[in-house]
Amino acid sequence: MQESEPIKILSVDDEEDLKLLMNQKFRSKIRKGIYEFHFAHDGLQALAQLEKHSDIDIALCDINMPVMDGLTFLTKINELQNPFLKTIMVSAYGDMDNIRAAMNGGAFDFATKPIDFTDLEQTIEKAIEQIKFIRKAQETHDQLMAIQSDLDTARKIQQSILSTDFDLISEGSCFEIYATMNAAKMVGGDFFDFFVVDDNHLGFLVADVSDKGIPAAIYMAVSHTIIRATALRGLSPAACMNETNNLLGKGNVESMFVTVFYGILDLYSGNVTYSNAGHDPPYIIDGAGKVVMTEPTKDMVVGAIEGISYHENEVQLSKGARLFLFTDGVTEALNPQGELYMASRLEEILSRSQNLSARDLVDKVSANLRQFTSGTGQSDDITMMVVALSP
Amino acid sequence: MDISKQKKADFIIVSIDGSLDTSNYALLDKELDALVSSGEQNILIDCANMNYISSSGLRIFLVYLKKIKAVNGKMVVCGLQNMIKDIFSISGFSSLFTIYKSREEALAAND
Repeated sequence: MQESEPIKILSVDDEEDLKLLMNQKFRSKIRKGIYEFHFAHDGLQALAQLEKHSDIDIALCDINMPVMDGLTFLTKINELQNPFLKTIMVSAYGDMDNIRAAMNGGAFDFATKPIDFTDLEQTIEKAIEQIKFIRKAQETHDQLMAIQSDLDTARKIQQSILSTDFDLISEGSCFEIYATMNAAKMVGGDFFDFFVVDDNHLGFLVADVSDKGIPAAIYMAVSHTIIRATALRGLSPAACMNETNNLLGKGNVESMFVTVFYGILDLYSGNVTYSNAGHDPPYIIDGAGKVVMTEPTKDMVVGAIEGISYHENEVQLSKGARLFLFTDGVTEALNPQGELYMASRLEEILSRSQNLSARDLVDKVSANLRQFTSGTGQSDDITMMVVALSP
Repeated sequence: MDISKQKKADFIIVSIDGSLDTSNYALLDKELDALVSSGEQNILIDCANMNYISSSGLRIFLVYLKKIKAVNGKMVVCGLQNMIKDIFSISGFSSLFTIYKSREEALAAND
């Protein structure tokens, strides 16, 4: 209901005089376009009017009428289930039983005959307030639904950004790769990626944007694109981080940043060159099941400070070894007692996971996490990636 | 999480008690914004009772480090618990902030 639109009132009464009286008593408001009256002589006519004017706000209805009485009309109105239509019943003062029945039947209020027009105007105004309130709530609800629907779309877009061609990329090769990202909210700030750098090299990364939700998701999309575009030029991990950092750092007013572990696996030698920009160090599980943390490089997160130089480390993966990459959503998952999952639990489950396929290893840790958190709400995005070399 | 403030010499000491994470980093943002807006140039964040910091919390540290540096002020931290020390170390934040063992040490060093 816009302020400029008149309040539409349907007066239902078999007394012809009432029409004149209403028009006279509310003349000023009608002339100013505040009220607009429609008239009907019985319930049936009134229903026809409602069908014609679906935007009627208030039905002012006599109880005792021919053809269809007011109480029957009220039940018909209820069937319309229109929360914006309020009914005010009108009857003789002595007709309290019917008035009670109408109130219990969902009427908004009542007025007694002979009509006190000052009092009726107050009742109408009260109904208008109520209708405005309901409309406002409806608007807010509609807006929320629209946001929800946008978020659904954003979630689909975000998931489609993440590569899922796990089998395709490793076909006929000596490695396996698998990864998952579960956002705490509809959209998240974690991501992973993998791609063929050249015939002999696989690039893979896991990253975590500071913060969660929509701001993180936007930053995630930008970071993901920049890293991939930079990496595909064949730059070394450190050079790739240097460039990404400078691109992301420019004009970054909110000081958002992203932690990144970017590695390049040499498919012939099993050697991994990596750069770790503020990210939790991944683990290596060797063929014998021994779990070792990759050496951290203690480099800054990406996007925070422009112009810094990133470092590189190398690690040799033996045949059958697995590299387990993750975000802090794993180690900082909470159980109902408020305890963190911690690196120790992760290391323990990894040490009992040799010989699992990349997918099975991710699934195993996921299941263990679920068991630990046992229904506690997920407070951070959870991402895991496994790069496994064939035995 | 609770935040308390105390003026000591040239420093405003901001103590964080509890877990600084996504659910409450906005509170710290508001407090620090008020301090910087009122012209405070030297801020010491006492983390002795801070048992967790998420990346959104680190981001607030970074935002105000930049703001304080822009006005030639100092933002230093003290009293990091072991787990927080690890987070600072892994994220590279150790190289951004001057970190002191205690607020006494921080104040003495900046006297």
